[in-house]
Amino acid sequence: MTPTAKISCRNLWKIFGPTPDAFLARHGGAPKLEHFKAEGMIGAVRDVSFDVHPGEILIIMGLSGSGKSTLIRAITRLNDPTAGSIMFEGQDLLRVSEDELVELRRHKMGMVFQHFGLLPHRTVLANVAFPLEVRGSPREERERRAMEMLKLVGLEGRESYFPRELSGGQQQRVGIARSLAVGPDIWFLDEPFSALDPLIRREMQDEFMRLQKMLKKTIVFITHDFEEAVRLGDRIGIMKEGQLVQLATPEEMISQPADDYVRQFTSNAPRDRVLSVGSIASHMVVPPTGAGVAASAKLGDAAAQVLASDAPLAVLDDMGQPIGSVTREMMIAAMFPSRDADKHPERQP
Amino acid sequence: MTDTTMRATADRPSVGIFGPHILVFGTFVVATVALAALFPPLDTWPEEWVLPVREWVTEFFAWLGAVAKPVTRTIAWLLAQPLAFVEAVLYRGVPDWGLKPLPWVAVVAGAVLIGHWLAGARLALFAGSCTAYLAVFGLWQDSMQTLSIVLVTVPLAAGAGLALGIWATRSARADKVLNAALDLMQATPHMAYLAPVVVLFGFGQVPAMLATLIFAVPPMARCTILGIRTVPSDVMEAGRMSGCTTRQLLWKVELPAAQQTLLLGLNQVVMQTLAMVVIASLVGASGLGQKLLYSLQQLQIGKAVEQGIAITLIAIVLDRLTRAAMHRAPQRIPDGTAWHVRHVHLVAFLAITLGAVLLAQVLPQLSVLPRNMTLSFGQPINDVVRWISRNLYAYIKPVRDTITIWLLLPIRDFYLWLPWTTFIGFLALIGWYLGGLRLALVPVCLLGFMMVAGFWTPLMLTIYLVTGCTILAIMIGVPTGIWASRHPRGAKVTLTICDTLQTFPSFIYLIPVIMLLQTSDLSNVIAMLAYATVPAVRYTYLGMILVPKATVEAATASGANARQRLWKVELPIALPEILLGINQTIMMALSMVAITALIGSRDLGQEIYKALPGAETGRGLIAGIGIAFIGITADRLIGAWARRRKKDLGLA
Amino acid sequence: MKIVSRFMRAGLLGAAFASAAIGGAKAEDSADPIKIILNNWSSQVVFANVVGQLLEKQGKAVEYVPSDGQLQFMALANNDMDFQIEVWEGSHHESFVKSVAAGALDLGTHDAVTREDWWYPSYMNEMCPGLPDWKALDACAEKLATAETGTKGRFVGPPADWGKHYSERIEALGMNFQEVPVGQAATLWAELQAAYDRKEPIVLFNWTPNFIEAKFEGQFIEFPVFEPECWSDPAWGQNPDKIYDCGAPAKGYLKKAGSKQLVEKWPDAAAFLKKVNLTNPQFASAAALVDVDGLTPEDAATKWIADNEATWKPWTE
Repeated sequence: MTPTAKISCRNLWKIFGPTPDAFLARHGGAPKLEHFKAEGMIGAVRDVSFDVHPGEILIIMGLSGSGKSTLIRAITRLNDPTAGSIMFEGQDLLRVSEDELVELRRHKMGMVFQHFGLLPHRTVLANVAFPLEVRGSPREERERRAMEMLKLVGLEGRESYFPRELSGGQQQRVGIARSLAVGPDIWFLDEPFSALDPLIRREMQDEFMRLQKMLKKTIVFITHDFEEAVRLGDRIGIMKEGQLVQLATPEEMISQPADDYVRQFTSNAPRDRVLSVGSIASHMVVPPTGAGVAASAKLGDAAAQVLASDAPLAVLDDMGQPIGSVTREMMIAAMFPSRDADKHPERQP
Repeated sequence: MTDTTMRATADRPSVGIFGPHILVFGTFVVATVALAALFPPLDTWPEEWVLPVREWVTEFFAWLGAVAKPVTRTIAWLLAQPLAFVEAVLYRGVPDWGLKPLPWVAVVAGAVLIGHWLAGARLALFAGSCTAYLAVFGLWQDSMQTLSIVLVTVPLAAGAGLALGIWATRSARADKVLNAALDLMQATPHMAYLAPVVVLFGFGQVPAMLATLIFAVPPMARCTILGIRTVPSDVMEAGRMSGCTTRQLLWKVELPAAQQTLLLGLNQVVMQTLAMVVIASLVGASGLGQKLLYSLQQLQIGKAVEQGIAITLIAIVLDRLTRAAMHRAPQRIPDGTAWHVRHVHLVAFLAITLGAVLLAQVLPQLSVLPRNMTLSFGQPINDVVRWISRNLYAYIKPVRDTITIWLLLPIRDFYLWLPWTTFIGFLALIGWYLGGLRLALVPVCLLGFMMVAGFWTPLMLTIYLVTGCTILAIMIGVPTGIWASRHPRGAKVTLTICDTLQTFPSFIYLIPVIMLLQTSDLSNVIAMLAYATVPAVRYTYLGMILVPKATVEAATASGANARQRLWKVELPIALPEILLGINQTIMMALSMVAITALIGSRDLGQEIYKALPGAETGRGLIAGIGIAFIGITADRLIGAWARRRKKDLGLA
Repeated sequence: MKIVSRFMRAGLLGAAFASAAIGGAKAEDSADPIKIILNNWSSQVVFANVVGQLLEKQGKAVEYVPSDGQLQFMALANNDMDFQIEVWEGSHHESFVKSVAAGALDLGTHDAVTREDWWYPSYMNEMCPGLPDWKALDACAEKLATAETGTKGRFVGPPADWGKHYSERIEALGMNFQEVPVGQAATLWAELQAAYDRKEPIVLFNWTPNFIEAKFEGQFIEFPVFEPECWSDPAWGQNPDKIYDCGAPAKGYLKKAGSKQLVEKWPDAAAFLKKVNLTNPQFASAAALVDVDGLTPEDAATKWIADNEATWKPWTE
């Protein structure tokens, strides 16, 4: 466990079916996929370990049924995991009592849901104040705080509306305001923008980034949209059949996918905005003829320069020292990978 | 029949239940009939083998009544207190303190204002005029008595149903037990509860309330379970992540979010409570129900109709009000609105009440409408009924004789002749074919129990009446439903008639039916028909409306004419819905069986009715449960059949 | 909600004080209401109201409780109800005896006598010559046949549990009849009304005194005259092998019944109720006030009290 991690999951299992504990024990705590098939059990989360660092946005993504929703519900203990440990501020979440869990949720966690999860019978203000109400804040205090939150998400003037009177985007703003009302240390978002129209989704993503710049929360964010993941995430974890296939920065994931599954996922990613020149450069150092390209430059920014040059261009590190070279062909191959090239992104021409 | 053939038939779309198994069924029938002829115990269960279950139950209740008397009487006393309060407000007043009850003008105003508050002017007008009817037709006192019982029973039933429902959603075992209990409670006719209630709680308004409670609680419990289960998981999780304790989750998230379904349950409670009004008067509830029975006793049908309409109107007004509450979303109120503006309806009500009370000192007509100012249409109705009985009897008699001789008597004789082994075995065989061993055991256990308890003949006579009623209901209801599905305007009229038929107290039908058809099985069947045809019409209509348009158009394009379309396309596709309708028809017919006892029959309903005077709890309760058992058996078998049809048609 | 419950508590407290106050003054009749049973036939309801109004004149509190004609006896035994003005030998005897055994009180017999038996409307005299003799009726059986009874005559009998043994009588006398029991009394009257309007032949169960004689003209069928041996000794009567080969007793009792607490809590009222005594014409005329003149039972009772002071005055002294 990294001592600096905010949350640290180790060997997390969530198994559905009759007597999952016995099943796990029977197979030495590590049943294989064929065991699940043979006994008709479902391994929604299988042996997942990862850390969430303070202030980072960790994206968990995968197709539906990959176990990402189960994973976030395991971490928040909305569904108790079958085995493993989740360290949160030095406490194992799986060992805290029901009362302690309620206290943690009341003060340290916030969560946003795909379908908003607003209480239909309460006004916008009462929805946002709800977590404060259940923890016993006096009315005046919680309404003042809720108003602040509504201001934060730009819903001033709508506090006496009911959820049904708002658009989807506005409803999710209420959901966000509610999840932030308790001032959580860690913020969970479960596909928060998936139910929204594409245009609104874009707007909400911007809004989310704006908020995060101000608040600097530690975030676990679930999505099935790789583009969204790349846009928002500091690191991305890809799940498949309950397992965490790869956990890496967006760039690493595109340039060095762990397997074909990840590669397929990344194939539609906006490579020009994710990949940097350094990640596609060859290690063959060429003398800097004129201006080189910065290794940290995104492909999209360096493309014009590289494509205009007939000779390989030098790639420079932050100190301006050459660390490799990049050619026009390499640039084209990286930006528009053919199916064949897709398998060997680092191939030399 | 091997396992493989079973599976093979299950995969193939089956047309009837029998399908290729007609041989199996035929052989079984012949074999059991032959065996029964050889061994009489297989034909008729010998009397000396009858278990004295009814005596056991009677003795148990007598013992319980004696032992638990302090407890039951305390409960009765506790329940009497809120009732006394409501009665004092509505019609009794508190003479000792010189307090008068609410003037009728104030109650009418209350109905208007609640209607307006919930759904605006139209409902206000409707609620107001219905309430005014009660005063204008001189039924005020009786109506307020009935309303008092309703107003106290409804919250109690709703509360009890809510608690049971919540309990069921918390514990899987409770859910299972409760589900079975609710099935039984709902399928047992109201009247069967009266004897045990009298033994335990005595007589009067409170025991009547308790008997009503038993009947009114199940729909509320079911709606609570449904409501809580269908709260969106996002909402539940949001509640939990907000840091709700289990209790906070229930009261602040689950119940409020399930509000719509809970209100539907409340609506059902109201309807059930009013359905009990007449029957409850048999154990001492005064009010409209008692007056209605008295009018019938005097053959004052017109008056009984007036009183019946009053019951129906109370039911409809409460129904509309709860429905309106259901559709009424919370309203946004701007901040800083003054209290009296925010509660304008309440203020208006208080003002009118105060005004009415003061004015009533000068104008007593505002308090209770004097009799010479009331109206009545009783006499014309009496005259019409008697005119029909005098002049149309000549035409009705041949119909009556034909149905009796060619339909009813043959069915009756056939059922009474059937050996029990054939009857129960045949149903078990159908159950096995449709749903395996579990389903096969249903008729064996339930009907077998009734036989062993010594109720075979009334059981078969009940099944006979229900069969006759169902056949006639299908003959009338299915064509009506098809017709309605073709004529939108006709549909509206038909469905309104259906509503009215179901809310009108069934007792009123009895006297005219007897005048025209005499005390006979046909009278029993007709009295049941008034209720039982309704679901046949409704579900046929629904099934026909739901037939996919594309399928009908495809049939037309294939050159099918209207008749072919109906028989080869629409009816087969609508069949599962129609089957459910028939299922409901059987349930309705069964719920009316107890009422036929008042005409004169020898079925289980008569057993229930006969058990009342001597408080033979066992006899009445087991007969009631027997009716429930018939219902449950029919429900399971038809349900399995309808499900299979739906699966075959890919509509599931 | 809170306000209501507080109100209720105050009310209960008040009730407790009130009952304590009553408990203190035990010398006379209790101030609690005497519960008088209402049934669903007219003479009973009118006279229940008559005694109720007379009791109120004497300053007693009265409450009317509707009840089924049979279940009431258990209520009397349990002190759930306090007074019944009409107990019929024919219909109530068994329940009444049981109820007395369980604690209820027999408050004495009216002068009125009751009769229950087969009855027919007078216009049948022409259709079946020789009526009211039972043999003439038997000869007329075919005119009374219906689809269900085939060639047999249809006798509309009392509810099956009233224990009248009419089917046994049909068999013992060898009559060509079948009994069709009704479920309740109203059914009898509906049958009678319909047949009467159409002038159709009908034979049905009936009793006197009731309102029927005020509305319909008719007589009882005369069966072999009842003697107690008829019901116990097969040798008696025209069928040597069977009992029940005779008519019903023509003079049954009509009693009053009360609860045990009636005498204990309201001794004055009980003394008055014991003196109440009515005759056949009085019952019939009271029923007619409602059934023929169309008064409400309450108004009929008021009128009866106004018109018959000579009758009731002695009861109150």
